[in-house]
Amino acid sequence: MDKLKTASWFIFIISVVSIVYALVFNPAVWIVYTIALLFIPLSILSFGLLSMARGKKEEEEDKRREPFIGY
Amino acid sequence: MNLMGNIILNVAIAFLVGSVLFGLQRKIMARIQMRPGPPIIQHLLHTFKFFIKESAFPKTAAMPFYIAITAMLCVIWVAAVIVGPVTEGSLLLFFAIYAIHKIVEHNAGSSSGSPYGKLSCVRAVYSAAAEVPLFAVLIIIYLKTGTMIISNIVTFQSQHGALLLSIPLAALMFFVLILSKSPYSPFAITKGKDIVSGYETEHFGLLRGYLMFSESIAWYMLLWIFLTVFIGGLNPVGYLIGMVIITAFVALINAVTPILNPNHSVMTQVTLAFIGIAGSIITLLY
Repeated sequence: MDKLKTASWFIFIISVVSIVYALVFNPAVWIVYTIALLFIPLSILSFGLLSMARGKKEEEEDKRREPFIGY
Repeated sequence: MNLMGNIILNVAIAFLVGSVLFGLQRKIMARIQMRPGPPIIQHLLHTFKFFIKESAFPKTAAMPFYIAITAMLCVIWVAAVIVGPVTEGSLLLFFAIYAIHKIVEHNAGSSSGSPYGKLSCVRAVYSAAAEVPLFAVLIIIYLKTGTMIISNIVTFQSQHGALLLSIPLAALMFFVLILSKSPYSPFAITKGKDIVSGYETEHFGLLRGYLMFSESIAWYMLLWIFLTVFIGGLNPVGYLIGMVIITAFVALINAVTPILNPNHSVMTQVTLAFIGIAGSIITLLY
């Protein structure tokens, strides 16, 4: 498993656990706001990084090359 | 419902309604231009679809900033949902969020390494000059109501009538701001097709889906703020009808106007703002 995938799993699990904690235990308002602001966006981003399709390793280099560099 | 549940519910509503309204806008524009147009749920479907599309990050991208800036857009519009429908807090906070939206446009363009993105980044700074009137709207609302708290503004309107009728030119200025944020708007210079997709050009695949998610929330929130501040507290059906009407009106304008060049865009907005500010001050004095 590559670094991006490992980090995404880690962030996704932390985010979901934090959101469930705020839902179930109803902590102080500032904690709920912090969790909402940090972990709702991070949970969606990390979910996306996990669900996105990855190309073949040999084709990846071509796709990453910026074709518009000329300045 | 507890606070977290309330926030998640409101974020979900903002995303779903915002996405469908974007779809509705495209549909109306297409019908005006004698095209069948995409289904109304197309924007929503695209958002989901991009999450499972193949994604690659350009070599020229400034990592991890290139990814972090998309998260930043989501953070600020989740914050807007908390300030708006969840707590009905201060308008000042909402406009601070809007200012950060400009910074995100700027930095998303510059972080990609694409010249199209960088041109859009320059235009984001340039067009910020036309959004100074936003702060004038704030001042006018404060002079009229004596408060910046959204819930107090709603109470004021229940006693004195809708602000749309007493300070219509401030409402017009805010409407121009909403118009400038809609896709295919005459003022949408940061996403003009002459620079491909502007600051989003190199954000494709899942990152595009993520940006679209945040933009749907942003559209819902702009309409929510307009309806709440200038008409007053509505019930959910009232909000929905209001949002559909504004979106349809925006679609009509966008369907029949070209995207202006940056100079004309900024000058038109500044001129409308000047009329709005001068007219509102005269209205408040007499």
